[in-house]
Amino acid sequence: MNPFGGHQRQPDKFSTNSELKGKRWSTESREYPRNNTKMIQIMNWFSMAIGLIPLNRQQSESNVILDYAMMLLVPVFYLGCYFLINLTHAFGLCFLDACNSVCRLSNNLFMHLGAFLYLTVTLMSLYRRKDFFLQFDERLNAIDAVIQRCRHVAEMDRVKVTAVKHSVAYHFTWLFLFCVFAFALYYDIRALYLTFGNYAFIPFMVSSFPYLAGSIIQGEFIYHVSVISQRFEQINTLFEKINQEARHRHAPLTVFDIESEGKKQERKNLTPATAMDSRGPSFGNEQKLSGEMKRQMAAPPPPPPQGQQKNEEDEMDSSYDEDEDDFDYDNATIAENTGNTSEANLPDLFKLHDKILSLSVITNGEFGPQCVPYMAACFVVSIFGIFLETKVNFIVSGKSRLLDYVTYLYVIWSFTTMVVAYIVLRLCCNANNHSKQSAMIVHEIMQKKPAFMLSNDLFYNKMKSFTLQFLHWEGYFQFNGIGLFALDYTFIFSTVSAATSYLIVLLQFDMTAILRNEGLMS
Amino acid sequence: MACRPSIISRGSDVGQSTFNMPPAQTESALPMVQPLLKEFQLLFYISKIAGILPQDLEKFRTKNVLEKSRNGMVYMLAMLIVYVLLYNILIYSFGEEDRTLKASQSTLTFVIGLFLTYIGLIMMGTDQLTALRNQGRIGELYERIRQVDERLYKEKCVVDNSHIGGRIRFMLIMTFLFELSILLATYIKLVDYTQWMSVLWIVSAIPTFINTLDKIWFAVSLYALKERFEAINQTLEELVATHEKFKLWLRGDHDTSSRTLDSSQPPEYDSNLEYLYRELGGLDMGSLKGSGKNKVAPVSHSMNSFGESIEASDKATHHPISVNMAHESELSNASKVEEKLNNLCQVHDEICEIGKAMNELWSYPILSLMAYGFLIFTAQLYFLYCATQFQSIPSLFRSAKNPFITVIALSYTSGKCVYLIYLSWKTSLASKRTGISLHKCGVVADDNLLFEIVNHLSLKLLNHSVDFSACGFFTLDMETLYGVSGGITSYLIILIQFNLAAQQAKEAIQTFNSLNDTASLVGAATEMDNGSSTLYDLVTTTMLTPTV
Repeated sequence: MNPFGGHQRQPDKFSTNSELKGKRWSTESREYPRNNTKMIQIMNWFSMAIGLIPLNRQQSESNVILDYAMMLLVPVFYLGCYFLINLTHAFGLCFLDACNSVCRLSNNLFMHLGAFLYLTVTLMSLYRRKDFFLQFDERLNAIDAVIQRCRHVAEMDRVKVTAVKHSVAYHFTWLFLFCVFAFALYYDIRALYLTFGNYAFIPFMVSSFPYLAGSIIQGEFIYHVSVISQRFEQINTLFEKINQEARHRHAPLTVFDIESEGKKQERKNLTPATAMDSRGPSFGNEQKLSGEMKRQMAAPPPPPPQGQQKNEEDEMDSSYDEDEDDFDYDNATIAENTGNTSEANLPDLFKLHDKILSLSVITNGEFGPQCVPYMAACFVVSIFGIFLETKVNFIVSGKSRLLDYVTYLYVIWSFTTMVVAYIVLRLCCNANNHSKQSAMIVHEIMQKKPAFMLSNDLFYNKMKSFTLQFLHWEGYFQFNGIGLFALDYTFIFSTVSAATSYLIVLLQFDMTAILRNEGLMS
Repeated sequence: MACRPSIISRGSDVGQSTFNMPPAQTESALPMVQPLLKEFQLLFYISKIAGILPQDLEKFRTKNVLEKSRNGMVYMLAMLIVYVLLYNILIYSFGEEDRTLKASQSTLTFVIGLFLTYIGLIMMGTDQLTALRNQGRIGELYERIRQVDERLYKEKCVVDNSHIGGRIRFMLIMTFLFELSILLATYIKLVDYTQWMSVLWIVSAIPTFINTLDKIWFAVSLYALKERFEAINQTLEELVATHEKFKLWLRGDHDTSSRTLDSSQPPEYDSNLEYLYRELGGLDMGSLKGSGKNKVAPVSHSMNSFGESIEASDKATHHPISVNMAHESELSNASKVEEKLNNLCQVHDEICEIGKAMNELWSYPILSLMAYGFLIFTAQLYFLYCATQFQSIPSLFRSAKNPFITVIALSYTSGKCVYLIYLSWKTSLASKRTGISLHKCGVVADDNLLFEIVNHLSLKLLNHSVDFSACGFFTLDMETLYGVSGGITSYLIILIQFNLAAQQAKEAIQTFNSLNDTASLVGAATEMDNGSSTLYDLVTTTMLTPTV
């Protein structure tokens, strides 16, 4: 099924892999904070309860019947309600006497669109089963183990990841989403309860439930993409660490001073700007290095005693230059010894990047197809929401309770689905950008010509290979809905432009005659 | 056209000479690789009878090759003329109904019907004329695919053609099912079969049927190309997998060699650089040669530095043994694997070239198919709407009167278009994935020399990707499908709007006329009563206002 299944499943060097396999990753003690687990767990429980993901999805051996019971029962129940309404014409909102033609049309559209959405989404979920979740967890554990090791090597264990900083916005988003959904459900259930009494659950199954289910599947997608995005960010911090070290480290590599001692002498006396000007363009490399050195000296953190010492020694006569070079060289080796650990991560990081991208391919393969009906439903509901609101509700609101209910239902669900769709697009775009960021950082490292790269051809080739591979990845993969559209902000643009043109056409429909016929307008 | 055979012969010449193989060996290698065309037999016979392909029947039966044939050409042209004549008779005989209906139906429906009357015929004509034009080149295409198969086989990468025959059979069955169900359902339900002229309705299925057969050729060949790409990817991934196993095994034995130590070890500059120069020199020559001919020379450039004939025979004998040995990885031997990677990349290039050639051969048929699909889809839905509003529709599109038949017809048309688009997209993606798999080889081997090779080849692959397009107007990928579906929807809405407006105008005119009649009656009555004209005004205004 997925093309990347082959070799990465092997335990490789991660001996922890098999131990971690059965457990839930969220309960493991990880060093980076995970304050999102509670929200995610609520969502997972809920989606298990309404049969969108299998029970015990993280355990490979469990009772098959128990796992998929809900996933079969709920769709069957839904289909029962759907056919009950459409075949017996009972319990349907559109079959009430109070429902006029506009109400009936919009209610039918809402119901059938929901059926399309729910059935496609559920079928794909059933098709996915829990192999995906197992595989995802397994790969994630492997990735996390390597990241953990890399962080250990880079001595970043003590540094807290910045996830804490995002938590306010994060919680706000969750709270907002929760409120939006609660309101939508409350509105629908209350209106239906007032109409149908205790049988309200039957029309509810065909009105709001499909959209809720679709949104929750998108929530699962959001969660998986956010996990991927988080891993990209962690890799990027590790890359950034190497990058910073490269900046600190190549200053000692001012071995070129051996060639231009005299020049250096006079340069030190000049102001930085004139020093730059006085040197010809032929010394492009040296210029950059010297600029880099100046920056380093200007920056507060670099080791102050050495810098001062160097300045002092520079001001002394040139006979000390030999010593100074020696000293610099020492400095370089020291720096390399301390930082050697960090750049040793590079091969692992490249592999990690590749693995996370393969993980994204799998995730997209599983959830991308489910995005298509959801986005389509969101689009249709939004357009008709605007249409009904402007052409019907503005003119005849308050005349018929059912009509008002249907129009507001459209508006509420269009808003809700749009929020979810926006978050999906945003996260996919973020993940894409983060993965792009890694390549950019690697290029930056290459441009700085750090010591480890100059001394070892292998590193240079490795970095080049990584960036080239990323180019291939860019052509091959992007979060998308089975290739129909890329899941990024361009999709919003195309949807909005399409919606505008449809609306222009739709708003020309003359509704007054129909409304007058229904006795809603005099 | 004239230069074509020479290229074939040159290509085969180059293949012969550069592989440095005695003819006996090539012949012995031949039976290993089944020609792709062998699976096409059923399709060939059917399309030969239907008059889609002009190639020689006898040559195909005996040698599995497609060759030009004058008789076939004559037969095909005759068939084309017969089809055109029959279709025109069909249009004429069923146009009788239209002429009586012309007055009642709206001009919009009439004009759309007029436009789309001949689109099926145009599509069929494009297919057949293109097949005539291409008759020499298609055979060459399959010959190239066979050569690719041979080269892949030499790299221990066997492509299985056996299920392609089943695929063709499935497609043919689907085609027959769809065509027959549409034809029979329409004939029974919607055609007046008491008249003997109604038998002509069968002719209406000919254009789509011929078009589908032609597209099956394209689709299956495209699928074969996709399989070739996937085979290359699979080989690369297997290399990676075996090397990982190998490394695991190594680590199990000697725990001392850890990854980080390996990478920080200073590499041997001299040998590497020397090798690299030799490598680059050879490569440049090879690539120049390839670009000059616009055809990648099927030759491993490193053959100059390594005795190719020895290598090949060596590999051939090694093959069964190395499979059995679990702990041996090709990736550990850089110079050996380099040759393999080079060959794979060149095969990849060749497949890309074949893909481009194939796309070029079928570019006009695909363009006409896409245009046909778009127009017919929109028109069929529009006519369905018209039929639900009890308006008359052109007689050629009578299948739109029944929603069930419409669904079948639409899924048939859209299935054709979407499958081609999907397959092109997938093939393009498979070709792009080769670069990623190649880099995986480099990463897992972690060898400086291999990185050099991989980087070089990767750039080559990056520049050499295959994208399918319809005459260059639009690329055949899913995004186009998204755009087209949006276009269909918006056109449909606009058409329905116009139709509504026309209907409303018609109704308004009718009511106005009837009102005028009643008003004049009322007016006459009031005048007879000698009443004032104000009463007349009052009546007309009160009666007109609610409807306007």
